[in-house]
Amino acid sequence: MRPLWAVYKREVSQFFRSNIAYAVAFGVMLFLGILFSSNVYGGVQSNLSGFSPQPVTADQIALSTLGVLTFLMFIIAPLLTMRLIAEENREGTLEVLMTLPMSDWAFVAGKYLAAWTFYTVLLLLTLAYVLILGTIGVPDAGLTAVAYLGAWLYGGVTLAVAMVWSAVTEDQIVAAFLGAATVLILFLASSLAQLLSTRAELGGLSEFIRTLSLTSHYQDTMLLGVLRAEDIAYFVLVIVFALFVTTLIVGSRRWRAS
Amino acid sequence: MIEVVDLVKQYGEVVAVKGISFSATRGVTGFLGPNGAGKTTTMRILTAYAPPTTGKAVVAGYDVFEQSLEVRRRVGYLPENVPLYRDLTALEYLMYLAEIRGIRQRRERSYQSLARVGLEKRAESRIRTLSKGMRQRVGLAAAILHEPEVLILDEPTIGLDPLQVLELRKLIVELGKEHTVLFSTHILSEAEQVCDRVIIINQGEIVAQGTPAELRQQLERGGRVMVRVARDASGLVPALASLPSVASVEPFAEGLLVAPRSQDDDPRPQIAATVVASGASLIEMRALAINLEDIFIELTRQYTPAVQETPQPVAEEVSA
Repeated sequence: MRPLWAVYKREVSQFFRSNIAYAVAFGVMLFLGILFSSNVYGGVQSNLSGFSPQPVTADQIALSTLGVLTFLMFIIAPLLTMRLIAEENREGTLEVLMTLPMSDWAFVAGKYLAAWTFYTVLLLLTLAYVLILGTIGVPDAGLTAVAYLGAWLYGGVTLAVAMVWSAVTEDQIVAAFLGAATVLILFLASSLAQLLSTRAELGGLSEFIRTLSLTSHYQDTMLLGVLRAEDIAYFVLVIVFALFVTTLIVGSRRWRAS
Repeated sequence: MIEVVDLVKQYGEVVAVKGISFSATRGVTGFLGPNGAGKTTTMRILTAYAPPTTGKAVVAGYDVFEQSLEVRRRVGYLPENVPLYRDLTALEYLMYLAEIRGIRQRRERSYQSLARVGLEKRAESRIRTLSKGMRQRVGLAAAILHEPEVLILDEPTIGLDPLQVLELRKLIVELGKEHTVLFSTHILSEAEQVCDRVIIINQGEIVAQGTPAELRQQLERGGRVMVRVARDASGLVPALASLPSVASVEPFAEGLLVAPRSQDDDPRPQIAATVVASGASLIEMRALAINLEDIFIELTRQYTPAVQETPQPVAEEVSA
């Protein structure tokens, strides 16, 4: 655990000194901020006008912010993780680390947890919106909690998946693009499933693809306040699997080639 | 203590190391060879960074493949290009490695290590602001941080100015008193100055090993002799070729190149006598010994001088 903790601390401090991490945070907060204020403004206008059949609630606004944030993870996750292993690889510092008495697993987990920590901070910052909404409405505490828990795990999954590519290539740009593509595919998989479900004979395949998609475990459930064990299990399993793959890739140089 | 037996490393089609065996004990062992000879590959195997394809390497009593973590605990490694975190200070960098290594009193130990390489005054400087020589020393401080039994240094003196090279060599000799130091270089004179033992490797094979003195002797004796006389030397060929200790004679530059029949029989006294007896004036006679620069040139230019028997030979002229 000691090496993991050392790598984690170093990486967290890297994040909070990294231009790209701040740029990502700035971009995300700016975008969400504009979206949030226009939602609030639009909601208030519409509610006051009395014409809309259903009033806009504080919950809707809070959740739409999380919906956008999680959607944006296909950009955020690769930007936060592309550097993690690719840079050590390119700079050669990986060679030093790999000759230290530290398991590959500890190295990968330390790096990953640091990225997740940075994302967590980002996510916590969006709680400001919930607080603001609390002054003009009454957000549902349970609903918000589940949606936030989901958004946190969702971020964890996308970071883990995007990080795999940082281990594959030492080119950060390539890692970022491949990471973005992979997360986007996981996000869009449910649309593909929907498309396939129109063909009766492909029902099984469609259901399988839907189960693998990110949206079927967040946007369709937790973001609506539905707390299901299977969604949590999905997130945890995908994270563990992605980290396992990353560890294998990092350690692959140690395999005996015949 | 390093023990290597029939080590082979293959990258796809390329065989980088072709079954080498050697051992190294306390003191400085030089690993000498041109670029691409397999030095770095071997060192990476010894530091448990990459496994051997076949063969066995035991470092500090542990197998590099089976007990990789134990080996890594006991080895200090300075990779060739000295990778460092440039955003950290020298002290921070060492403390980071110390934490991963589970060293107690990280600050003290890191500081001591820096003092040992003469960098205590720059402990708080960011690595990016340090000169190349200082960075090399930070890398060395990192390698000796945990007082390893075995130190593996990959071309530590490359790219340094002459003064820095001298300092670093002194340090390596010093370290050799307590550790098993394996250090690679492609500079013959450096190996002679620093090493207790030298292993010469070329194209993945060990071509010679021993103390620098033994090696020099062996190479000089095994090498051919260049002879120059005042007039045209071609008339001397039959006389020289008939000497019992001479295997062959051929024209070379402005003189003759004489190959000895055996390693142990120095033909020079006989050659000198024959030349003088023929009435010619002997202007120059020297042994051509192995030199790495020439091996390197030979490899890159595909130019093969007269030596054929072994892939070993060749080069620099050592005055006889």
